[in-house]
Amino acid sequence: MSQAISASTPSRSARSRPRPPVVTGVGVVAPNGQGTERFWKAVQQGTSVLGPVTRDGCTHLPLKVAGEIDGFDPSALIDGRFLVQTDRFTHFAMAAAEMAVQDARLTADPENPFGIGVVTAAGSGGGEFGQGELQQLWGKGPSFVGPYQSIAWFYAASTGQISIRGGFRGPCGVLANDEAGGLDALAHAARTIRRGTDAVVVGATEAPLAPYSVVCQLGYPELSLSDDPQHAYLPFTTDACGFAPGEGGAMFVLEDPEAARRRGARARAVIAGHASNFTGTDGWSQSRQGLARAIRDALDEAQCSAREVDVVFADAMGVAEADQAEALAIADALGPRAATVPVTAPKTGFGRAYSASSALDVATAVLALEHGVVPPTPNVTGVRHDLDVVTGEARTASLHTALVLSRGLMGCNSALVLRSAHGDER
Amino acid sequence: MNGPVTFDELAALMKARAGLSVDPREMERRPDATFAEFDLDSLGLLGIVAELEKRYGSPLGNEAEGCKNPHAFLENVNNQLTAAGV
Repeated sequence: MSQAISASTPSRSARSRPRPPVVTGVGVVAPNGQGTERFWKAVQQGTSVLGPVTRDGCTHLPLKVAGEIDGFDPSALIDGRFLVQTDRFTHFAMAAAEMAVQDARLTADPENPFGIGVVTAAGSGGGEFGQGELQQLWGKGPSFVGPYQSIAWFYAASTGQISIRGGFRGPCGVLANDEAGGLDALAHAARTIRRGTDAVVVGATEAPLAPYSVVCQLGYPELSLSDDPQHAYLPFTTDACGFAPGEGGAMFVLEDPEAARRRGARARAVIAGHASNFTGTDGWSQSRQGLARAIRDALDEAQCSAREVDVVFADAMGVAEADQAEALAIADALGPRAATVPVTAPKTGFGRAYSASSALDVATAVLALEHGVVPPTPNVTGVRHDLDVVTGEARTASLHTALVLSRGLMGCNSALVLRSAHGDER
Repeated sequence: MNGPVTFDELAALMKARAGLSVDPREMERRPDATFAEFDLDSLGLLGIVAELEKRYGSPLGNEAEGCKNPHAFLENVNNQLTAAGV
């Protein structure tokens, strides 16, 4: 589905192309709400939960504002044996996957154990778990390092644990490719389904708010070091000063439409198109061309015109040059529609959770399509670009097509087109 | 079972190191039941061996780590600890 892949595979023809996969389950663990209902309520209200960084070992560091998840109790959903051997990012992933699987009423079929796969994206792996074990190593000695260190820190840990726990033995994978990975994971899952897998449990979660992980992020010039939660993350404004990080993420059940229909599963949205590319780290202005190309290619795959785009979920980096490049990319790709289409970035209310950020945007897009509501961009007023950024109140609208954009700090650009499932699958 | 390590201690370690709730009496009653049947994987057993080595101050070696069931494991571990004078 990405241009890199489509270039090396036989050209698609609209006639022979199978119907695109559908989202049949959504699970969310986010700073502003656990579970899709609470998350959607907060997103729709434009509640901002950005606040002071309070996690142990982090409070003396220059990062002052983030979106933390409070009161997360994974043991309510996940067995202790899966928790003791995994990091917080995998706890988020297992909990969100459990919600998505329950939402989709999906169970592994013992007759067809390879029918369900798992794909996740991860930008940093299990930093907190890894730090703890390395402290044991240097503080006490090698015999004090637990064996689960070998798997808990690893980017692929969440995919493996979800697969083992659910008995999902179909094609599995992990994408470690930057923030855009949250969208690219869905595209990878869609390709997996087109090759014959019935369903894929897919998404991304991150837990970057632990001492070692925070110190790693301090090297990013895009990280906001503001100590004011109302001003730390203000993309598209003259006050833009970087992004505030967040944690959590979203998992989905993506399914072959025919397989979903056979088992009577409800289609919540259609993954209609995707494209991604790479424009490097030589300044954010370069992302204009890449992001515009990704949008065009994703719309092309979705057989969707710019006029049909009803809402854009922006990447919203919060850095002047990057915001400018994104606004221009939207204009380049959507033409006259760019000035009138509602653009939103709900993440300004709960932070940017790296690869999980775009997964949370997809969850928000699914909910927005279902409810016919464009949620606002918390804290943001006075947009300086020629974009209709939704600020203040949520906006009611007839929504059929959503465009989700993501860029990574390391140069990836990605676009995903979702379409409403109304009338399509039932 | 002769030796310092009991089924109760093993069950407690399975809880602490691998997050498993296992009834020590059930392990004791079922000499043929494997660690896998109690959901303990090989990494979990490695952690338990490391903990016992620290606790009793005696190396236990690869054979203990390769034991497939609780009875064989305790026999191996306790024989080694008894021989080491623990």
